[in-house]
Amino acid sequence: MDLFVAAFGFGLVSMSVIAIAAVGFTMQFGITNMINLAYAEVMIMSAYAAYAFNHMGVSIWISMIGGALFGALFSFLLNRVLYAPFLHKGTSHIGMVIVSLAAALMIANILLPIVGYFSVSYTQSPGPTIRFGAFVLTTSQLLIIGLAVLLMLMIHSLLTFTRLGKAMRATAANPTLARNCGIPTRRVVDLVWLITGALCGIAGTVAAMNSESFAVASGATYLITIIAAAVLGGAGQPYGAMIGAIIIGEMTELSAAAISPQFKEVVAFAILVLVMIFRPQGLLARRGAMAAAG
Amino acid sequence: MSYYLTTILVYAGVDIIACLALNLQFGLSGIVNFSFIIFQAAGAYAAAVLSMPPSSQIGGEQIYVLGLQMPFPLPWIGAAIVGGLLALPVGLVVLRQLRSDYQAIAMLVLSVIATTVITNVRPFLNGAAGLSSIPAPLSDNLNPYSNEYAYLYVGITAVCLLLVLFIAHRIVNSPYGRTLRAMREHELAATALGKNPVSLKMTIFVVGGVIAGLSGGILVGFIGTWAPSVWLYPETIILFAAVIVGGRGNNFGAIVGALLVPVGFEEVTRFIPSKFGSVDLPVGFVPALEWVVIGLLIIGFLWFRPRGVLPEPKRTFQGGPAEETHWVQSGRGA
Repeated sequence: MDLFVAAFGFGLVSMSVIAIAAVGFTMQFGITNMINLAYAEVMIMSAYAAYAFNHMGVSIWISMIGGALFGALFSFLLNRVLYAPFLHKGTSHIGMVIVSLAAALMIANILLPIVGYFSVSYTQSPGPTIRFGAFVLTTSQLLIIGLAVLLMLMIHSLLTFTRLGKAMRATAANPTLARNCGIPTRRVVDLVWLITGALCGIAGTVAAMNSESFAVASGATYLITIIAAAVLGGAGQPYGAMIGAIIIGEMTELSAAAISPQFKEVVAFAILVLVMIFRPQGLLARRGAMAAAG
Repeated sequence: MSYYLTTILVYAGVDIIACLALNLQFGLSGIVNFSFIIFQAAGAYAAAVLSMPPSSQIGGEQIYVLGLQMPFPLPWIGAAIVGGLLALPVGLVVLRQLRSDYQAIAMLVLSVIATTVITNVRPFLNGAAGLSSIPAPLSDNLNPYSNEYAYLYVGITAVCLLLVLFIAHRIVNSPYGRTLRAMREHELAATALGKNPVSLKMTIFVVGGVIAGLSGGILVGFIGTWAPSVWLYPETIILFAAVIVGGRGNNFGAIVGALLVPVGFEEVTRFIPSKFGSVDLPVGFVPALEWVVIGLLIIGFLWFRPRGVLPEPKRTFQGGPAEETHWVQSGRGA
């Protein structure tokens, strides 16, 4: 029983990591209508950017800011240099998916010779362990959970209370109409890539902190979990991605305790298949402002 | 030299067969099958376990199911059947109600997961180590290490290739192929004309699975080993690059693409030295560079020449509208 309580605790950390990543991924899809399969590779790159700072002796929590800035800048450039021109040319959804997969492949393989095949880990002190019955978490794990909650609240406030959030939702609902109403959709899209890129960078760093060590090859694993959470919640919907992250995070950790940690992604995949069979539109099916077009 | 030649020819044959299958699914029908390689892998595994002796007989070094020791054509036929059978459940989950870009990511995820499962479940197909010493077809009667055998293998591959090309050609030029093109261009319009897109897609998905399975069977009979590391999801992207470079929807484009990308590319990179002057290249630099170039090829072709080297021929129809005008005129006259 204690094993499952402990697993539940790990699930809380894991869902926090997935939530940060999946919200960024799903916002890119919801607002810019772009399934960015290079997302996980940008996460890995940002994790390495944070590693570079960390390696120079900077605390990992400060290095994370470097990771976030790198993720934001890289995502922004990726869109400006690659995706936006293709979208402007009228490439179909499917064409864009292929382009982003090609981008993912290129990023991973440009990164490989630079950082090498071996996995690396951050210099970090997990801090004092906090026990609560069978519940065992380190301080840094608690901080990750806190960070995720903070970021989710920030995203919620951004979308609900600010003019920018309103403009984002309008762009998601109908870009042409939004532009005709005087919303500078191009600038909004740029900001979306910066914001989601920062989330992506933080997610990459946090995921690397949580998994002790990381390598370029971790990308595919990250991507599966993120897609599962985003699709489960209803692709393009940030709140859906949060719910999806909670479910996927807990289910994968509990199943790791029950069966074997090797099958974490398989469990995420099984959930994904069930969703695709029974509720392909995702849990939050309302085609609200953030629903994907098409 | 003749070993090198026959190896290239068999690889080329297998790649062309695979590209023809992918072209039927992706080029002709617009199904973005990012899990294509798992159908080839399934065929390869099927051919392997159908031709190998039972696992218990070889001292337990490899653990796998079946081991039926079937005579030559049966493992290949089995490979094709398994490829097709695998396409059924995958197609039923993915192709029925999902949007096309969802379909693509679902299949990508499936490909990654299939690798995870086969790697971690050792008793099924020997896990990460994979299968080895898979008997070559007809090795009871012939010496598989002789030159004659290698040329015979090339010949059998060529026969399979011609058969697949014939089938693909017939499909592309049939009314069914025309319907698939209509569906690819405008699914809603095709549906409105009474075509059932799900059954159209399912059929071509299974046909593609059968051909992919066969290609896996041919490949595994020649190389004699098969492991999860040879069918990782990026392998599918190479085939996509081939079809995009060659020309989507054109069978001859698929052939040209297969010769240019998987075959030509592998051979060119074989000659890249591992050091330039006195500077050693980092380990894995050349393979990584290959992948970057594959990515550039896809992006470059989609940007500059999205229809490929040999574009799909434009098909025009004559006669229909004229008759209709005639009918309208006579109607007005009456």
